[in-house]
Parts: sequence; C-alpha cells; structure tokens
Amino acid sequence: MKGPARILLAAWLALSATVGAVPCRAEVVVVVSRENPLSALPRDHLEDLFLGRSDRFPDGEPAVPLDLSERLPPYSAFYERYLGRTPPQMRAHWSRLIFTGRGRPPRSLASSREMADAVAADPRALGYLPAAEIDDRLRVVVIE
Amino acid sequence: MVRALPIATALACCLVNSPAGAEESSGPSLLFNAYGTLGAVYSSEDHADFVGNLFQDEGAGYSATVSHKVDSRLGLQLTGRLNSRLSAVVQVVVEQEADGDYGPRVEWANVQYEFTPDFTLRVGRMVQPSFMVSEYRKVGFATPWVRPPEEVYRLIPVTNFDGVEISYRSHFGGYTNTLRGTYGRTEPDWADGEVSGEDILTLSNTLEWGDLSLVASLGRYDLNVEAFDPLFDGVELFGAPGRAIARRYRVDEEPVALFSVGGRYDPGHWFLMAEWAGTSTEALLGDLRGAYATAGYRAGAWTPFVSVARAWAANEQATPQLPTGAVPPQLEGVVQALNSELEDLFNLPIKQRSLSLGARWDFASSMALTLQYDYIDLRSDSSGVFTNRQPGFQPGGSASVVSLSFDFVY
Repeated sequence: MKGPARILLAAWLALSATVGAVPCRAEVVVVVSRENPLSALPRDHLEDLFLGRSDRFPDGEPAVPLDLSERLPPYSAFYERYLGRTPPQMRAHWSRLIFTGRGRPPRSLASSREMADAVAADPRALGYLPAAEIDDRLRVVVIE
Repeated sequence: MVRALPIATALACCLVNSPAGAEESSGPSLLFNAYGTLGAVYSSEDHADFVGNLFQDEGAGYSATVSHKVDSRLGLQLTGRLNSRLSAVVQVVVEQEADGDYGPRVEWANVQYEFTPDFTLRVGRMVQPSFMVSEYRKVGFATPWVRPPEEVYRLIPVTNFDGVEISYRSHFGGYTNTLRGTYGRTEPDWADGEVSGEDILTLSNTLEWGDLSLVASLGRYDLNVEAFDPLFDGVELFGAPGRAIARRYRVDEEPVALFSVGGRYDPGHWFLMAEWAGTSTEALLGDLRGAYATAGYRAGAWTPFVSVARAWAANEQATPQLPTGAVPPQLEGVVQALNSELEDLFNLPIKQRSLSLGARWDFASSMALTLQYDYIDLRSDSSGVFTNRQPGFQPGGSASVVSLSFDFVY
C-alpha cells in the first residue's frame, strides 16, 4: 500500500472509531424499575409495547410504556435505534390510532430526570434514557 | 399532540372515589384532539368537476379553476375515559356536504367497553373497516397521499355507520392479529335523493408483524337508492322490455358483497403499500374492482412517493336501452330521454387508470405539506371520478390534477 493510501486508511479508521465512540456515550438504553424482575425483552415485543399493540410484559404482567418529549434528542434516538422509525412516522402512527379511538401515545415526560423518577416509582413502567443518566433505582433491559 | 383538559381533574373528583395514588393511566380523563386539511386542487378538465368523493357537490375544473372544497376539512374529537374498561369517543367533521356548503357531521360517536385490553365491544356510530385506511381516510396527516386513491376508496363512499363492533386482538410469536366484526346501517346525505345501506356486515382481519401489516376484509350490505326510482318507474311504463330493465336494475334492498386485501411494508426509510378491492351485485353497479400500489422514500423531513391505481369493471355491463321503434312518434322523445338517463346511470362506476407523483414535507412537528400530481386516463366509455359534466366533456379522455394540502394533527 502506498503512502497516501495508508494515510487515508488511517484517517478513515480514526474517523470511524470516533464516530463509533460518540453514540456509545450518548447511547439510549431501555430501563425498568429495580423492582421489576425483567432483564431482557425481545425487540418485537418492545416494538409492540411502544406502538400500542400490546400492554403486557412477556410474563403477562401489565406494562406502561413512557416517552420522553419529542423535542429531546433521546426520543428520536430511541425510535430510530430500537423501532427503526422516524418521529414523523410515529406521529402518523399515533394519529391513525387516536382518530379511530383505538389508542393513545405513551405519557410524555419533559426531561430525563422526570423519566428516571417515573420509571423508578412504578414497577410496571418501561422507559428509555441516555446510558449516562441511569441511576441505581433503575435496571437496564437487554433488547434481544 | 395530546393534552388532558383541566376538566379531567374535575371529572376525576366527581365520578370516582379514587384511592390516593391511583395510577393516572386508568383514571377518568377527557382528551381533545383535532386534525385538519387545507387543500387546493386544480384540474385541467374544465367541462366537469374533479371531486374527492361521490357525495361532493362541487370540485375543481368546472365549478372552480382551483377548488378548496375537495380536500379541506376539520375534525374535532373528544375522547373520554371513565375507567380502564369504559371509554367514549365523539368526532365531528366539518367538510363539504352534499349541498356544496361546509357543514358539521358526526363521524364517530361511540362507547367502548374493554372486556380485556384485547377484547372490546363498541356501540354507536363508527367507521366501517372495509379497506386498509378506511377508518382514518379523512385524516390527511395519517396517510402519504393528499387523499386515498379513489379507484379503491370510492367503492364504498360512505364512511360511517350506526351499529356495533367486536374486536379481538391476539398475540402469537412476534405477530399481532386483530379480528373485527361490525354490524349496522347507514343513511348518508346525497344531493340526488335518498340512499341507504342496511344490514351492513363486515369482517376484517389485520395481521401485524414488525414492519409488515396485512389486511383482509369481507362484507355485505343491502343497498337502497330511492333516487333512481323515478327513472325506473318511467322505464317500467314501456312494455315488457321496460319492466325487465326495471326488475333487473332497480336498487331496492339489493345485496352487495365487498372484499379487499391489502398490505403495507414500512421498514423506515421507505415504504410500500398496495390494495385490491371489489364490490359485486346483481344490480346496476355490477362487479367493480379497484387496486393501487404506492411506494415512498423518506429522506429526512421529505417523503417523495409514486402511486399507480386502476378501477375497472370485472363484468362489462352493456347499458340497457328501451327500444325506440316500438312506440308512437310522440313518445319517442320520452324514450330517448329515459335512455340517456340510463346511460348516465350506467356511467356511475369509475373506470380509469391513474399515475400519481407527490412529495410530503413534514416541516414541523404535527404539520405537513403535500404536493401531488395525478394523471388520470379514463376508459373509453367512462367519466371516471368527474361529476357535473357539461356539454363538451369527453368520456374516455384524460386529465391532469394538481393538489396542494396542508395537514395538521393536534
């Protein structure tokens, strides 16, 4: 490999390492209360819960999904990473359910702190937070 | 998008003795939501009106060069929840009515009881789930197009009915299946006279699996169109051929079957949706079919899409005519007039192809602009979706329609 190509490759590797590292710190994780025994959840079940298709955890216990405000970056990060959906898609999805009387979106919380408090306070709650903002009242759920 | 009104708190105090710390999600609540479309439509065919559905009096082309009446509407909805099992929804839609003026109509007004979250009963006014997007066909924000393809959606132009619905949802593996059965009747306003649907029965099944959603439905109803009676009463006076025509085609408790299959695949950055539907009756509308396919690509806030659609008759019906030779000369004019009315009537079904290109721009949260161009190619004998036809209108021609819509939800 010639000089310039090697430099380009090194630059590319460095760049992809950086790009790869940033989302790790800001990564959004799915959380429940410590009192909820749930430790893992299949991705399609998570999808059903946040699309209003199901309101139960896999063990049959009631589940209450919670949302962050659409204005906060973790909102779109969560839907894009775990459900493969964009905010406009989610708005269209909920308007289909609302205006047919068949459902309403999860309760929306104004900050990560409110989300952490709400999930910690309710063993049925299911939320999401930037990885850096979880505390010991919460348990990270592995999405399979 | 959804805000609880302060009144919910008042209701909570009056209606239940809720223990302290009762969960908010199942307590009484009252929610207000709204949706709306402000639309402008231009049609190159100025000898007739392009309309958004069969019951519209005015459209674009003849009545107005640019019409705001085709797509503009406002929907206001109140959803009340008494407890985790009992809820009610009322939705009023203001749009162009059969007389051409804007007016409010109750689109939804029903009470829903959840035996379980997956097994529900509804009683009251609701929208028939005949086709994939039937229930929210008026919510422009919820669909990619300016309006759902008329080639399919005009097969059942009526949106609501009064009756009951039972819905059962089941989960297996990663699949969610929802089976719905409805029964009821409807009596829409039509400028041309009375029309009603009785004993409307629909069975609709939706299977969802990740990004894929498949819908199939079957239905039947008895159609009455009293508006056509004067014509058939007249035709009947002209001997055996007249009586035969009236007996065969009069729309009096005429059973109509309907069926559809459709699917949507939406993995995120692009989507594909398609539907095929039909109605079948011995009466004058015969066997009609419609189909469309739409594909779209999402690039940030922009969603360009392309759509093709077709409406056709599965059994081409020849227009019945009274014999002109057999009557005295002074009655020939009457026979000709009746025959020309028969021709108009048998032109009601749309037979056309269309190609649509459009783009939606989600420029703000809960607001979107959609620009759509439709090229409509009418079959040789058909007037397609065009009404208020004037002398000079050529059945079998083609037209270009350009629509711009602003949609919002609240």
